Amino acid sequence: MRVCVIYPKSSSKKVITKEEWEKKLSEVKIRKEDMNKLVMNFLVTEGYVEAAEKFQMESGTQPDIDLGTITDRMAVRKAVQCGQVEDAIEKVNDLNPEILDTNPQLFFHLQQQRLIELIRSGQVEEALEFAQEELAPRGEENHAFLEELERTVALLAFEDTANCPVGELLDISQRQKTASELNAAILTSQSHEKDPKLPSLLKMLIWAQNQLDEKASYPRINDLVNATLEEPVT
Amino acid sequence: MQRGGRGDGDDEMEEEEAPTHLNTSTCGHFLVITTDKLCAKYTGEGLHGNDVGVIQGNQAAPCHRLLYYFEITVKDRGLKGYIGIGFTDEHFRNSRQPGWEPNSYGYHGDDGKLYHGQGKGHVFGPTFTTGDTVGAGINYASQEIFFTKNGKMVGATFKDVKTALYPTIGLHSPNEKVEVNFGQRQFVYDVEALVQEERERRHRAVENVHLPPSASHSIVRAYLLHYGYHDTLAAFDAASGGSFPPVVCTPHEDGNNGTLDDDSFALDQRKVLRRLARDGDVDSVFAKLREWYPQQLQQEHDSNIIFLLHCQKFIELVKSGMLEGAVTYARTELAHFFGASLDQDLHLQDCLALLAYERPQESPMAYLLHFGQREVVADAVNAFVLATNPSLPASGKSPQSGLEKLLRQLTACHVEKRLLNGGQGEVFSLHRILQGGKDGGW
Repeated sequence: MRVCVIYPKSSSKKVITKEEWEKKLSEVKIRKEDMNKLVMNFLVTEGYVEAAEKFQMESGTQPDIDLGTITDRMAVRKAVQCGQVEDAIEKVNDLNPEILDTNPQLFFHLQQQRLIELIRSGQVEEALEFAQEELAPRGEENHAFLEELERTVALLAFEDTANCPVGELLDISQRQKTASELNAAILTSQSHEKDPKLPSLLKMLIWAQNQLDEKASYPRINDLVNATLEEPVT
Repeated sequence: MQRGGRGDGDDEMEEEEAPTHLNTSTCGHFLVITTDKLCAKYTGEGLHGNDVGVIQGNQAAPCHRLLYYFEITVKDRGLKGYIGIGFTDEHFRNSRQPGWEPNSYGYHGDDGKLYHGQGKGHVFGPTFTTGDTVGAGINYASQEIFFTKNGKMVGATFKDVKTALYPTIGLHSPNEKVEVNFGQRQFVYDVEALVQEERERRHRAVENVHLPPSASHSIVRAYLLHYGYHDTLAAFDAASGGSFPPVVCTPHEDGNNGTLDDDSFALDQRKVLRRLARDGDVDSVFAKLREWYPQQLQQEHDSNIIFLLHCQKFIELVKSGMLEGAVTYARTELAHFFGASLDQDLHLQDCLALLAYERPQESPMAYLLHFGQREVVADAVNAFVLATNPSLPASGKSPQSGLEKLLRQLTACHVEKRLLNGGQGEVFSLHRILQGGKDGGW
């Protein structure tokens, strides 16, 4: 157990004026190449393949992944987003069969999505057959899978699926969720981080500002999009 | 002025020296130290408060990191087990237990108490004796001194001493003997797990921060606008058109247009200039600037932008093997820039040095021949055009992209926080984070 013995209250906050802070800001060295890399990383990870190609030409920044793989990855993503799960599975396996082999949870979620799509299109018989043959055996191996399966099959019990308790499964956001999980798995298999760096850095900025707030009063940036410096609160 | 490839490493990131053994040269009178300088035995009588045998590590605890840690194992508790472990400053009196004097912290084996700056201890943890392994550490992230016993955390206290601290042991009764581990062997306490835990805690805190949904998208778009990466921008907009909201631009009440409009200022001109600069066509860049910005160009007659363009022209001549042309050009257009400023002189020297090499692309100045140098020039031209925007405050500063401002703010916050902690803790390095490394203070 962690015991803290002496903890004095921190003394009064240091106040840093806007002028002083601007001087500190001007002393920071930011490399243009680093910013370019950050932007390229965003374009690549988010799948803006054409923009990434143009950016490579215009700025001379090398992408951190083969741009060809983005096109394939986006095709897979799009297939899930359009509800063509079988097509997506086929495309992933063409890309790298290990992705689904080594990722049972992802594979289950894809099969679940397939079941959802069958139910959505009113193919009740096919849906039941698919659930029993493909999903049930996996549910036996894993309790969490079984619960998911039961929740999904419950969709069949409602005539008005839009207002049923598990209706969210039919929502477009469920496709997005499955598509994102698949997208992340493909990126990981390509030894690429699954999230772009920029949002993390922005979060880091807000966190760092909050941390510094405890010790000093200084000009914050609250509006990230316009990056305007506020007056320090005194 | 931005200067490319040479000597552009990370400052402040050099490896710090860490203690490796006991410092026998400042050792107290009442100790014998083994030849490997890792074992200490008390030889005094322990009669009063000023015959403690104290010894420090040979270096101060390194502080450009998340935490520092060392351990001792009690080989013999001696007569009374008056054994202390902790941290002391440079001027510590080597006849007093760590914790008894100002600027020192000590965890004592006989009573299990924590001492800090005075002879009276606070109830803290268990006592320790023969066979026990006890550790002391500094957590720079939380600004705490912590202690462990036999692989378990005992507790922590706030570290109010901001100067350098040395790992220290104190022995004070006959036959006491301890062995110290500065990391040459595996520690009993899993210190790596603590580092990991600390990083994960920070990582979770950062991940939990809420972001406006399309912030990244808007920032990237503004960046492309700012630098005039026109084709990228068009492709980006085309791809995100349906699924993303357009850039949210809340008009300011006072009628100020805000940065977004500033970023799109003269985009048509800037995209042309960037393309020309990217192709190394300096003559056309000059021609367009004269055509579009004759007045401003006149005012900037000897400025950096003109200088950089002339240098680039010279570089392009060298690149295409027209050395005589390059020499002539240097005489007519470059020579008079000498002595204007140190930065310009250095850049000029590098440029001219290209002439000295038979194969300049293999010389130390090869960076000048790379695409990156054209990008430097293109950025300077872009900044020049942006600065002609009449709606900008005439502060004389070069306009920055929103992304650059945010990254400056991010770095400045880390630098300032570290400064307020007495310059201790990991050094934040954006560059390293972007290199994909796990370090860089993260």
